[in-house]
Amino acid sequence: MGLRSYVITRILLTIPTLLLLLTMVFLVMRVLPGDPVALHFEKKATPEQMEQMRSRLGLDKPLWAQYMDYLGGIVDIGYFLEHGYPNLGESMQTFEEVGGQIFSAFPATLELAVYSMIIAAGIGVVLGVISSKSYNSVLDHLIRGFGTVTYAVPIFLLGMIFQLIFGVYLRWLPTGLRLNPAVEPPACVTGLYTIDSLLEGNLFTFFESLKALLLPCLTLGLILSGMFIRMTRTNMLETLRLDFVTAARARGLKESTVTYSYALRNAFLPVLTMMGLQFAILLGGAILTETTFSWPGLGRYVVDRINFRDYTAIQGAIVMFGIFVTLVSLVVDILYAYVDPRIRL
Amino acid sequence: MTDKIELAIIVLVLIGIIVSSSTMYYVTTTVGNLSTLTSDVSTLTESVSNLTSTVSDLASITAEGFEGYAEAIAALEARLAAIEAGLAVKETLIVGTTDSVELTLDPAQAYDYFGWCILQQIAGTLVSVKPGSTTGADFVPELAESWNASADLDVWDFTLREGVKFSDGTEFKATHVKYSFDRAIELIPSIPEGAPAGLGYDAIINRTEVLDTYKVRFHLNFPFSPFLGIASCRASAIVNPTYAPIAQVNHTAGDPRASTPVASAGPYVLSEWKRTAGRDVEIKLDANPNYWNLASGYPKINRIIFRFYSDSASLRLAIGAGDIDMAFRHISPTDVLDLEGNPNVKVWWGTGAFVQYLCFQEKRAPFNDTRVRRAVTAALDRKAVCDTVFLNLSKPLYSIVPPGMLGHTEAFQKLGDANYTYTNNTLNDPTIYGGPYNATNKLTFDLWYESSGHYPMSKEQALVYKEALEASGVMTVTLKSADWAGYKTSRDNEIMDAYVYGWYPDYVDPDDYSFLYWASWIHTNYHNATQEALYDQARATTNTTLRAILYAQIDEIAVDQCSVVPLYVSSAWAVTKPNIYGVYLDITQDMRYWLISK
Repeated sequence: MGLRSYVITRILLTIPTLLLLLTMVFLVMRVLPGDPVALHFEKKATPEQMEQMRSRLGLDKPLWAQYMDYLGGIVDIGYFLEHGYPNLGESMQTFEEVGGQIFSAFPATLELAVYSMIIAAGIGVVLGVISSKSYNSVLDHLIRGFGTVTYAVPIFLLGMIFQLIFGVYLRWLPTGLRLNPAVEPPACVTGLYTIDSLLEGNLFTFFESLKALLLPCLTLGLILSGMFIRMTRTNMLETLRLDFVTAARARGLKESTVTYSYALRNAFLPVLTMMGLQFAILLGGAILTETTFSWPGLGRYVVDRINFRDYTAIQGAIVMFGIFVTLVSLVVDILYAYVDPRIRL
Repeated sequence: MTDKIELAIIVLVLIGIIVSSSTMYYVTTTVGNLSTLTSDVSTLTESVSNLTSTVSDLASITAEGFEGYAEAIAALEARLAAIEAGLAVKETLIVGTTDSVELTLDPAQAYDYFGWCILQQIAGTLVSVKPGSTTGADFVPELAESWNASADLDVWDFTLREGVKFSDGTEFKATHVKYSFDRAIELIPSIPEGAPAGLGYDAIINRTEVLDTYKVRFHLNFPFSPFLGIASCRASAIVNPTYAPIAQVNHTAGDPRASTPVASAGPYVLSEWKRTAGRDVEIKLDANPNYWNLASGYPKINRIIFRFYSDSASLRLAIGAGDIDMAFRHISPTDVLDLEGNPNVKVWWGTGAFVQYLCFQEKRAPFNDTRVRRAVTAALDRKAVCDTVFLNLSKPLYSIVPPGMLGHTEAFQKLGDANYTYTNNTLNDPTIYGGPYNATNKLTFDLWYESSGHYPMSKEQALVYKEALEASGVMTVTLKSADWAGYKTSRDNEIMDAYVYGWYPDYVDPDDYSFLYWASWIHTNYHNATQEALYDQARATTNTTLRAILYAQIDEIAVDQCSVVPLYVSSAWAVTKPNIYGVYLDITQDMRYWLISK
């Protein structure tokens, strides 16, 4: 199968997957106890007021009609072309466009995910390789210990320790939020403050946004690195024992070439899969990190919406997560095919 | 050899990280300092230039004798004001909060604490409660200079302050008052969740009449003594018709949280309001150049910036790190007590008005029997909850009306706390459904609490209540919980035996508390015509002595019936840097940012 057919098949397969996901979420949300109508009334509400609100939210329609309305919105191409995001309906709590809400929170999540992934992959792969090369040495034990600790430590605990050290005691870095409020955010092009500030040529804002990113990304990156260290190490240990590595050494290739060009390329496939999955999860919002650092991303959004039984918002978020996971899986599969030509056969 | 190269790479990477982090930190700090320095130098240069000019004027006055004296003095005063203004520009207050505006800043819809808080800074009402008030009944003029009510309290006249302008320069007149209240009532059917609907504006106000340019009259549907309380709340903020369409709240599909100043006769203007995913991420308020009370020196701080934190722990860290000047709502009791010993911050204490109470579902036997409700009430231990859960920052409550307010009593003291003798004697009665209850035949019921943080420390409270009730030896309590959405549904479905609920006032008056004993939306299925008649009677008189007696009578019946049992009243606190002054935390629960100075 050619690469193109492979990609097209993968994309087509995502449609029933998303439909299944959407249907499940639609039904589960409506089975959960809790009425989104009642949540609009903090205190007093007459039955008439409740009924007015039910009608306003479209909850007076039969279930199948609500479902069809929702599906109809998602496939509304005209809306998509006009707004740049699918019609995911109106939030049942804030009456804002769900698509708009998700896309306003997405850049914050993406920025956090990208930098965290860079830190996690950098630390994880490098230390994993070093650990496997120094098998059973003191360095190996130290790195394994580091990996276990970072993997095991609760993310909010590590986050709070960093906040206390670098924010409260040393006062080097802010304890939370995306940018110092005294600093004007850069004009929105990508929504990523680091990129937008560079596009503006504003180095001060760039450094300020980096300062704000450092603690959450380091926290998330360190936690994720533990998993990558262990995976890289295990796979490298297996690969280094294989015949082709011995053959490469026998041919007199440099040890670094054998390690990085031969062994790591083979050992990297499972790590790449894990990176892809983790990245997709991060795009859905790192709930605990975002909460600890008051990061206005998708993780906090979903938790908020679940508490409000905001059906449309949760459905919208799940659809978007589904799309993120599918896209990332697709990219990983293509990378896989690139790294290992056998997959295309 | 390879190992050594790898070791060298690690060392180099580590050195690289350290050097680049340090460089980044110092570059950022230096750039920040340079920016501040440039701004300071600019302000200083401007001040020096003004002073030079002043000195030159003085020389000219001396040279010319006293001719043109008044003119020169006026010019000097103007320059001094400019110098002060130049220095004041630097004054910005950064406030951290875990709150967020729920929906909008349109008084016709907003009905949440923070939405009302921002509205109070940017909007004007006819009257307001005097800062520091202990009763909530000390009304002072705001956009109205004076007022009076007819003898039967169903017609209220207000004489408006002249020369008041909205932030866009539009002059404020009586027609705006009529427009604001007419609009609020008009929007009730389409905005059932809004404050005017919740407060029953359509039921209370019959019509609003413009008497002349600066006089307005409210015709009410019934005698209503707490009308000033209604007039002072944010749902009664006066709107600017230019930005407030008669039949539409101020947000549209394209720009849902549009920040045009619907109501803008307050000390500040909303200069920036950004939301991400339905939550606030940035709010900036700047001094309103057209504020009617500028001459008195308000607002004291020119700019307020709000930073939004996800939880109490993050907020506590931010004030501890000096990231913000002030943390207001919500820092946990443990954290605030911890911060009290911190020399880098100042803790402000105030009166609370948030109350929690226990409700009994009368549809579920044996809670249809007043004797059982009274017996369970007597076994509660409010003091233990306040001591152990709220670390004495909340106070036991023995009347649904909080202390300080007209009509507060200690009525529920009659049943006491952990009064097991009364409980055991009462329940040991064979005529009670399922009774007699004793050590061998215990009264078994479910006690529900909200589990998603809607109320403070709910689980901890429930555990203490359970312990105290079971200590009677004749009860077995099963704790059950649901998140806010599930809790409300369970309440409406009337499936909870006993449940803890809470109330935050719309206006500070016993009228906004006393009805909780029989409020239909609490779904206890309790009705009492005598209490309701006393309540209506209290509404129809301004005689405070009589009102206090009437509310006390309502409390007496409440103790006898125990449908809704008051538990505790909260305290209020704010944490600031030590150089902040003018924080008032009174019974209104309002934060008046325009009174704060640095």
